[in-house]
Amino acid sequence: MTASSTAITTVYTEHVSELEVVSRTDVADGVISLLLAAPDGGELPAWTPGAHVDLLLTPELTRQYSLCGSPSDRSSWRIGVLLDPASRGGSRHVHEALAPRSRLSVRGPRNNFPLVGAPTYVFVAGGIGITPLLPMIAEADAAGAQWTLSYGGRTRASMGFLDELAAYGDRVVVWPEDERGMLDLDGILGRPQPDALVYTCGPEGLLQAVEGRCAAWPAGSLHVERFSAKPVDSAAVSTSFEVICQRSGITVTVPEDRSILEVVQDAGVPALSSCLEGVCGTCETAVVEGEPDHRDSLLSEDEKAAGDFMMICVSRANGPRLVLDL
Amino acid sequence: MSAARDYPLDCWYVAASAADVGSELTSRRLLGRQVLLYRDGAGTVVALEDRCAHRALPLSMGSLVADRVVCRYHGFAYDATGACVDVPSQDNVPFGARVASYPVREAGTYVWVWLGNPRRSAGSAVPRMPWLEDPAWSSLGGELTVASGYLLLHENALDRTHFAFVHPDTAHRGYLEAEPPLKVEVSETSVSYARDFPAGPLTAWQSAATGLPPDVLCVQRESGVFVSPALHVDHMEIVGPERSYRTVFVRAFTPVDGSTTRVLWQVARDYATDDALASESLRRVHERTMLEDQPLLEAIQATLDRDGAPRPVNAAADIASVKAHSIVRRLLEEESPQPQ
Repeated sequence: MTASSTAITTVYTEHVSELEVVSRTDVADGVISLLLAAPDGGELPAWTPGAHVDLLLTPELTRQYSLCGSPSDRSSWRIGVLLDPASRGGSRHVHEALAPRSRLSVRGPRNNFPLVGAPTYVFVAGGIGITPLLPMIAEADAAGAQWTLSYGGRTRASMGFLDELAAYGDRVVVWPEDERGMLDLDGILGRPQPDALVYTCGPEGLLQAVEGRCAAWPAGSLHVERFSAKPVDSAAVSTSFEVICQRSGITVTVPEDRSILEVVQDAGVPALSSCLEGVCGTCETAVVEGEPDHRDSLLSEDEKAAGDFMMICVSRANGPRLVLDL
Repeated sequence: MSAARDYPLDCWYVAASAADVGSELTSRRLLGRQVLLYRDGAGTVVALEDRCAHRALPLSMGSLVADRVVCRYHGFAYDATGACVDVPSQDNVPFGARVASYPVREAGTYVWVWLGNPRRSAGSAVPRMPWLEDPAWSSLGGELTVASGYLLLHENALDRTHFAFVHPDTAHRGYLEAEPPLKVEVSETSVSYARDFPAGPLTAWQSAATGLPPDVLCVQRESGVFVSPALHVDHMEIVGPERSYRTVFVRAFTPVDGSTTRVLWQVARDYATDDALASESLRRVHERTMLEDQPLLEAIQATLDRDGAPRPVNAAADIASVKAHSIVRRLLEEESPQPQ
């Protein structure tokens, strides 16, 4: 018996949950937490500390928020949202439009900030950047690791989740700027610790300061979560190159003014994407051959140098050709 | 074999069927370790390292006396935490005399065990499988040992494009004729596929299991999910004229070692629950499918072992197994330092 040679169309998507706001709580000045659950009480996809989801707020407005509840709670997800005065519309929409019983679509979860097993952790949070660190701290604590959290914010009243963190005692150092000045990063990170991993999330200024202090740490020690793109190098020149989609058996040319993602999707190659600015990690693609020109805000310097993976929404090629696992 | 371990330890795996663990001592090779399983007097399943701390005799050769495991060689006795509590030749127990004890969960049909960092087990729940416990469903199952790594079994379970070649006599006609789109969906820790087949005739075994006449045209839906490195679950639904007929095919994949896997499988259904003929038909077709795959997977593993494992060429429809591999790779990278 011979099998037919009918081609199969593959439709590739990320999981989307239709959820309802169960409760909305003011947790600090300008910060709310939302508890989301399926209207029928069904089980939600599993996740691990550091994961985030996309809130699909309107057809044009998608924003990423870290899950900050407990991964063992499979019936609800918690997020924390700061009303950002410089909001591009996302946090304003959440604060103004979402109330108990509101329905919304949530895509994911996905995780670019996974908690790697280690005996010791140094957590550094700035403001709303505390959210992905909350489940990490719970897991590190349960696993018996040594850890400290340094949590900076403008004022004590602006800093969410202090009540939950109080249970950890003096492992948590709360550092409101109006009482104590800027976080003492030299004290926290000045001396590299070979067994420790550093996890940080917060405003860009803090992240760059932490990156600077960790330059002397062993490679791979620092883990950073960003929710907006790093400032780009405006001198970067984009050229045209060829991309071979290995699995699909299709070759395309990426012109200087388009992304790999746009061109492969136009060619019918299944590829996932969300933020389109090299932040969320959805379009991460394995590189089979060729050298990527990394322009994302996600991969570490080591990962960029290894060149095994790239974010095809923003990154390009150093050279005439890339072979990708697409 | 010197290949790196490709299965995470920080994960719940099925150690055995609940029915196979009783008050006698049994030994199983799981994830490259020898594990002793038994039920204590209260019926709680205990999992210990199957090796006396004294002279390495398997404790499974000993006996269970008043909830203590007593070694056959010198009578060292261990409690359910793995602590040595009695050494007949002396009054005090030597310092440090203990064997590893592993977290266990019994849920319905399966006994799950956690062989990684025990402190990480508390935050992780075993997968829920309500169809195996719901009285409105009935299930049957069995066990199979395959001489291939567990990832080859996951790939095989996520792969629909081999059906027309390997299972032509039992595959749904949709596999052999018009191919509906394959919908692959990912989340952080799982990947699933789904296909909707337009109305068509049933296969002989589907007709036998459901009692529907073979010429009645039914829409069919099938989906499958990589739940964790330990578990793959397939769902099949036949939309009949009066009602839907749902079948769930559960496969727990437990690595024995890097190139052998134990498959503990169950088939649950929400129709003809008391019908022995339906049971027989479902048992036969699922066993047949697994036995048709087995020699292929074993030949692949033998080739990889003998000639090495360079990066394979994947096809477009392999997207689900590519994603499963990347989930496993990340779990291995994140794994906590393991206790010795």
